[in-house]
Amino acid sequence: MMTRWHDIQNILGAMDLFRTQMNSLFTDFDRAYSSGRGWGGPDVYPRTNLNDTGDNLELIAEIPGVGREELNVKIQGNYLEISGSRTTDAPEGYTVHRTERPATTFSRSFTLPYEVDAAKVTATLKDGLLTMTLPKSEAAKPRQISIQ
Amino acid sequence: MSENHVVARTEQPAELVRQVPVTAPAVDILENESEILLHADLPGVRKDDIAIHVDNGTMTLSGTRRVQTTGAASWRELGDVEFRRTFAVPQSIDVDKVHAELKDGVLRLHLPKSESAKPRQIEIAAG
Repeated sequence: MMTRWHDIQNILGAMDLFRTQMNSLFTDFDRAYSSGRGWGGPDVYPRTNLNDTGDNLELIAEIPGVGREELNVKIQGNYLEISGSRTTDAPEGYTVHRTERPATTFSRSFTLPYEVDAAKVTATLKDGLLTMTLPKSEAAKPRQISIQ
Repeated sequence: MSENHVVARTEQPAELVRQVPVTAPAVDILENESEILLHADLPGVRKDDIAIHVDNGTMTLSGTRRVQTTGAASWRELGDVEFRRTFAVPQSIDVDKVHAELKDGVLRLHLPKSESAKPRQIEIAAG
């Protein structure tokens, strides 16, 4: 009888261990970049920063593995849309062990705080970061007021 | 009891000191007969800021990114970060021949297998 009881304890112990493992799994998973961290918003892609430098707005977006050709940026007034697709970069003839970066298409749109001059917008793509300089339209620029 | 595990986790001294948050980059791991190939997303990390250490069966990949900020922030979803992740690598990897390239924020790390670990066709001698 005593040994039977011991068996049950063993099973419970194993279940406890399993539960601990499962819990730490979630903690580890939370640390994965894709699920976002404290400074990231909810699950949005791509993640962006928007800065206001007076005459311009500057947008930085994080799009690793996306080439220039696969990226589309559309601007109209104060509406900005970034869309694109990421193709799989796995070469032929390899066995796949782990895929955390699947091929996807994405699209995100923003309402900018000011109207921008779409003709003067510049965009560069470097090291997986898209940096856009969006000059504010004349009406939206800060102006020095001379006092009479 | 399991809940306690989450609650009871206190900040380690190392975390308190560290300025830059650490996150694990997303990776793909592929393998063929001659090498193991690892693709990791490291957006905004420059070549010089990536460190790869292979030691005693573990490989640590680390890259720090600094985001340039100018002007006033309207919103901020990405910041300075250290991408760090540790992998177990088989002893059959030829450490001297490990090489990597970086393009569009994606690191492609080649881990060639040593000659002795490659599959081999055995000739059977006629008796």
